[in-house]
Amino acid sequence: MSEHTVGTLDQWLSARRELLDAEKEYMRQGDELARRRQELPWVPVETEYTFETEQGPKTLADLFDGRSQLLVYHFMFGFGFRVDEQNPGCTGCSFVADHFDGVIPHLNGHDVTLVSESIAPLERLQAYAARMGWQFPWVSSLGSDFKYDFGAAFTDDQQRNGADYNFKHVDEVSPQREGMSAFVLQDGTVHHTYSTYARGVEQLMGTFRYLDVAPFGRNEDPQHPAAWWHRHDEYETRQEEARR
Amino acid sequence: MTEHRIGTQEEWQAEREALLKEEKELTRRNDELARKRGELPWVPVEKEYSFETADGTKSLAELFDGRSQLLIYHFMFGEAYEAGCTVCSSIADTLDPQVAHLKARDVTLICSSRAPLAKLLAYRDRMGWGFNWVSTAGSDFHRDLGFAHTAEELKPFLEGEIPPVVKEMAERSGTDPAGYVSEGPGLSAYALSNGTVYRTYVTTARGLELAMAYYGLLDRAPMGRNEKGEETFWLRRHDEYGTA
Repeated sequence: MSEHTVGTLDQWLSARRELLDAEKEYMRQGDELARRRQELPWVPVETEYTFETEQGPKTLADLFDGRSQLLVYHFMFGFGFRVDEQNPGCTGCSFVADHFDGVIPHLNGHDVTLVSESIAPLERLQAYAARMGWQFPWVSSLGSDFKYDFGAAFTDDQQRNGADYNFKHVDEVSPQREGMSAFVLQDGTVHHTYSTYARGVEQLMGTFRYLDVAPFGRNEDPQHPAAWWHRHDEYETRQEEARR
Repeated sequence: MTEHRIGTQEEWQAEREALLKEEKELTRRNDELARKRGELPWVPVEKEYSFETADGTKSLAELFDGRSQLLIYHFMFGEAYEAGCTVCSSIADTLDPQVAHLKARDVTLICSSRAPLAKLLAYRDRMGWGFNWVSTAGSDFHRDLGFAHTAEELKPFLEGEIPPVVKEMAERSGTDPAGYVSEGPGLSAYALSNGTVYRTYVTTARGLELAMAYYGLLDRAPMGRNEKGEETFWLRRHDEYGTA
């Protein structure tokens, strides 16, 4: 453990107060960006998408489940970080998804539906959700262009020739990437309002927020920041393997 | 619902890209603040505190549970409360699935409250939570951090106009405003090094939004937090939505 500066309560308080001013400034900038997100134009979704769900095939409008707003997490499945036959859900997306069940009652209570979608057969998603102990709605977009149209999956052609991910051209794009898209339903029309990718998804992950106030912060290997991530049921065995 | 500007994909794309620049800036600002938090001096905790836990009486050092870092969420649940604070409960809803990930970063995350342990554990059962929750009944732990107030201190506040939010929240916890505001919410962070416990960070008020994971999502939803007018008190316990 590295040596850390030890101080008196007074020294800490004066440094903490200074930091608080910066934290408040950050907070206000966050409020301002949230306001600006709401000002983005709404774009009508013209394509008819179909999803396989536990209750049978559904349209995008059906996924709102009676609420006015819909958040869709683009969950990488069958491709991603530490993915194999036995572990088909991306480790990073699984980490994100660990945050969903706790917030869903509150989002639903505030007129927002949160679902995840993946391009894999529904029964594979259901089996993986059962293993992870998740309850949140998870639909299959297999056979639809949904994930591709919202910038979280890429065709063979795009993988060869490059495509935009996170609003920027990427020469070598992966088959799938993480992201979240937001929609609003008004007078029977679904509008796309917002999408976020890459580090934008961190904002959905409480664990990072907690680590950002812990004594050693995220404490990640700068070369491989995600090296410490595992599925929540894998940490003990993986850490044992690492020790051996 | 108010009329919202409808745009083309190109219009949305241009505005979204401009916003992304600022979002990235804010992400970097967050990284910078986390780095600054890591630079705060550590203050040795000189006082001996004792906590009632499901495994008997423990010291602050023992609450680390073998790890180097400890985060404590100060959950508003005083002796006068019949049920834990509604907002604190919404924070607690997200904790369980995060514990495994935080452990992997050598961080123990627990909650502490001033109500007797039996009351806390009964409420934990009702809410279906599993995280470690300790009672500070009989200890000055919360008071020394500024998260507990005496009747004398509260007198000026209670003699003034009580804000509706306080009345509402007090009622939802089965107590009166005087009982409710005897408790304050907070988050404190500690490091254990060579047998000494150091306090490294404390936050409260909007600083606690880091623990309110639904805000990260609502800030990206079409209507945002939507907390004006009738929606001011939208938050409920997860088992209370749709009931009142």
